[in-house]
Amino acid sequence: MMRRTLFSLFRSSSSSSSSSSFSTNSKVNIFDRQLKRNQRDRAAWLMPQNDPLLHTVADNLLDRLQDVKKTFPSALCLGGSLQAITRSLRTRDAIQKLIVMDASYDMLQRCQNDYHASNNPDNTETMFVVGDEEFLPIKENSVDLVISCLGLHWTNDLPGAMIQSMLALKPDGLFLAAILGGETLKELRIACTVAQMEREGGISPRISPLAQVRDAGNLLTRAGFNLPGVDVDEYTVKYESALELIEHLRAMGETNALSQMNTMLKRDTALATAAIYDSMFASEDGTVPATFQVIYMTGWKEHSSQQKPKRRGSATVSFKDIQTQFGNQS
Amino acid sequence: MVRVSKEIMQKAATLLSDFLVCPLSKQPLRYCEESSSLISDTIAVSFPIKNGIPCLVPRDGKILDEEDASKPDNNLYDAVNEENKGRNS
Repeated sequence: MMRRTLFSLFRSSSSSSSSSSFSTNSKVNIFDRQLKRNQRDRAAWLMPQNDPLLHTVADNLLDRLQDVKKTFPSALCLGGSLQAITRSLRTRDAIQKLIVMDASYDMLQRCQNDYHASNNPDNTETMFVVGDEEFLPIKENSVDLVISCLGLHWTNDLPGAMIQSMLALKPDGLFLAAILGGETLKELRIACTVAQMEREGGISPRISPLAQVRDAGNLLTRAGFNLPGVDVDEYTVKYESALELIEHLRAMGETNALSQMNTMLKRDTALATAAIYDSMFASEDGTVPATFQVIYMTGWKEHSSQQKPKRRGSATVSFKDIQTQFGNQS
Repeated sequence: MVRVSKEIMQKAATLLSDFLVCPLSKQPLRYCEESSSLISDTIAVSFPIKNGIPCLVPRDGKILDEEDASKPDNNLYDAVNEENKGRNS
C-alpha cells in the first residue's frame, strides 16, 4: 500500500507538467494539510520543552553542518521540530539571518516566545513566517541553507516541495532534510491491522504512507540537487504502553492526517490495538518498543565550483595506458 | 516604545524585500499599513500579519476584488493550485 501511494505522489506531480486541462481532477491529496495544521497547533501546547526523540534527530541533522567548511549567512528553517533546530542554530555565529517557517501559527508563537525569553545576546536575526512547504513564499536565490527537520513527510507533493526549496537556495546552497521513513511505527501498523481485522472484519489506513529509503535518493536528483547524500537511522523508543505512544505522537503533531481517513475509531478497536501491541511486541521489562526510521537527505544546489563527472566518451587516455604508465613507475 | 516599533518595521521591511514573495505567483509582496497586511498585486490577494508574523499560507489569503469577494476561499485555493502548476511546467 505504501509503495502504491508513493507512486501516485509521483504521478500527481508529473501530470502537472504534461497538461493542465485535467490537472485539478488528477491531483491526489493524500494528506489533509489543514488537519495537519490544526494538529500542529495542538502540538504547540502539548509539546514538552525537551522532547528526546526530536532533539536527537535535530542534533544529528545539524551535525552535518559541522562537516561543511562553507558558512551560511542566511538560513531557512521549515516545519517539523522547530524548537530544537532553532535553539541550536542560534548558537552558531555563522548564521546571521534565520527565517523560521511553519504552517502552524501557535507553533511559531511558541518559538517566538522561546526566542524572546532566551534574551538573545547573539546577533542572529530571527524572523517568523507562517507558510506552507507546498507553496513556499521565499524568493528565488535568496537563502544559503534550507533545513527541514521531520516536516516534509506530510507534504502531498514531496518532489514539488523539494524543487521549491531548491529554487529558494542560492547557488552552492545546502539542503538538509530529515523525514520519517517507511519502517516507522511498523509495530503499530501491524497491531492496528490485526485489531481491525479482528473487531471490524476489514482494515482502513490508520498510519500514513511514508517514503522508502531507496526513493530518497531519487527524490533529491529529481529535484535537481547535486552531490546527493542519503543515510538512515533507526531509533527505538520504549513506552509504558501503546496508549503512551499515541500521547507522544500527539505531542509531536505526528498523528494521522490522511484525507481519506476513517474518522471513527471504536473504543473497542483502540483497546484491542493496545492489547495486541502489548502481546506481540512487549519486551521483558514490560515496555513496548516503537521504531522510528529517520531518513536524512543532503543536497547541494548546482555551482561551478562543485566536482562533476566528465561527459561520457570524452576520455582521451585508455585505462590500459594508465596501467602501463603506473606499472612502470612502481 | 516608538523606537522599538520602528526597529521592528525596519526589520519587517528587509525581510519583505530580501526574502518573502507571494507563495502562489512568486512575485513581490507589498506592505499595506492601513490593514497591516501583505498584498500580492499580481493575483490581488491580501495576506494578514498576526502579531508580527506574516501568514502566507494560501488558505489565509483573501481575494481583494469586490466581485470576487463573494466566492468562497476554496475557489482561490483551487484556482491558485492551477496557476502554481502552470508555473512549474
